[in-house]
Amino acid sequence: MAEVEVRDLTKTFGRVTAVRGMSFTAPAGKVTGFLGPNGSGKTTTLRIALGLVREDAGTALIGGVPYHRLARPRRTVGAMLEATGFHPGRRARDHLRVIADASGVPGRRVDEVLAQVDLTSAARRRVREFSLGMRQRLGLATALLGDPGVLLLDEPANGLDPAGIAWLRGLLRRQADEGRTVIVASHVLSEVAQTADHVVIVSAGQVRFAGPLDEIGSTNNALESAFLKLTAAAG
Amino acid sequence: MLPLIRSEFRKLGTVRSPWLLLAAGPLLVVAGVTGLVQSGGNVHDPSVQSKALAHVALAALFTLIFGIFAVAGEYRHGTITDTFLSTPARGRVVTAKLAVYALAGAVAGLVSGVVAVVVTAAWWSAKGGSFSFAAAGSWRTLAGGVAVNVAFAAIGVGVGALLRNLAVAIAAALAWIALVEGIAGQLAGTGLARWLPFSASEALGRADMTGTAGFLPQWGGGLVLAGYAIAFAAAAMVTTLRRDVT
Repeated sequence: MAEVEVRDLTKTFGRVTAVRGMSFTAPAGKVTGFLGPNGSGKTTTLRIALGLVREDAGTALIGGVPYHRLARPRRTVGAMLEATGFHPGRRARDHLRVIADASGVPGRRVDEVLAQVDLTSAARRRVREFSLGMRQRLGLATALLGDPGVLLLDEPANGLDPAGIAWLRGLLRRQADEGRTVIVASHVLSEVAQTADHVVIVSAGQVRFAGPLDEIGSTNNALESAFLKLTAAAG
Repeated sequence: MLPLIRSEFRKLGTVRSPWLLLAAGPLLVVAGVTGLVQSGGNVHDPSVQSKALAHVALAALFTLIFGIFAVAGEYRHGTITDTFLSTPARGRVVTAKLAVYALAGAVAGLVSGVVAVVVTAAWWSAKGGSFSFAAAGSWRTLAGGVAVNVAFAAIGVGVGALLRNLAVAIAAALAWIALVEGIAGQLAGTGLARWLPFSASEALGRADMTGTAGFLPQWGGGLVLAGYAIAFAAAAMVTTLRRDVT
């Protein structure tokens, strides 16, 4: 499976430098928690890695290749981004079929991922009837559609109820145990403390810590105090 | 390219709004032809028959808006992210949309054309006139009208991809047709005004305009509209589509 490698990445939007020389590697077979305060450059980094935003300098590679050069991007990388939308009038199953068509994913995967995220009974409902939690599940189903070796998820627990969060944790664990690379961007530390093997803590567009969670201590308190210290130091 | 085209057809087939929009075209033709007769159009005058059939080209207003939805509608709902994740080569996405929307525009234009013939023939017979396909280039008017529907759908795809904001793109397109082109034409003079897109669509969509002062020949109107479609799509590909999707 492919690792995700970010090297010296820099991106400026107008007068705001969102990402400033960011470097880290997310290894295969691990859940990497990508942590940072709001506006610390997490989402921008993920969007650059996915070819949606063009970097000013540096590289973001998936298994050594930039996203736009991947032969079959959906089968290599599955992504769920916060701003990703659904057409409110389209049925959940049709949303997935549109993407399966475009990315050469066999049609049977649509029903498989719907079952995987527990949306089978809602498959023929229009997305406008969905709760936030159901939309998150549909976003996850979209990410899983191509059975990718790399998952990039931005705040995947948003809108999920406690049972849904526990379910998500199990799902991410299984994905990593199968050898996949899983990156979860979040600012909910307790969630990451329970799921991640590896953490990358960023603030003001720079990496403050990257390494195994054990080096910080995997209790929620230890992670929180390390996070606050590391991100405060950045000013 | 075939998987992308299939995906674009499925996008269209799985929501209702595009069909409501396209259905408005034939309705406009029915209302337009009826209005022409009711307001005293002479059914014995071949040029009036041509004017009735030329409503097919006016119905292209709706294929224009339909085309704008292709890309700008995806930005509106945020589905553009998933579209570009599936196909990072954005130019291919726009190319597939151009093909699919032009084809849908052709079908909409054909439906409008059939409706125009049926409604015009019905009114002509009701008012004691005789409808004839031989009159004043009727076939060429109908064919040109369908072509305008195709061209406007393609131009809409380009405009929507260039502007990305759905409301702004629709407002700009409607303002151009209702207001701006008329003023721009007056400033430029008739020699240049006939090269403007709406004026070119009138030349293409009504065969008996050929030879009229201030209008291109029908084939010229077709070439000019195709040029606009290519220009907008090309402008979108070299500018907007390279911009960040945030």
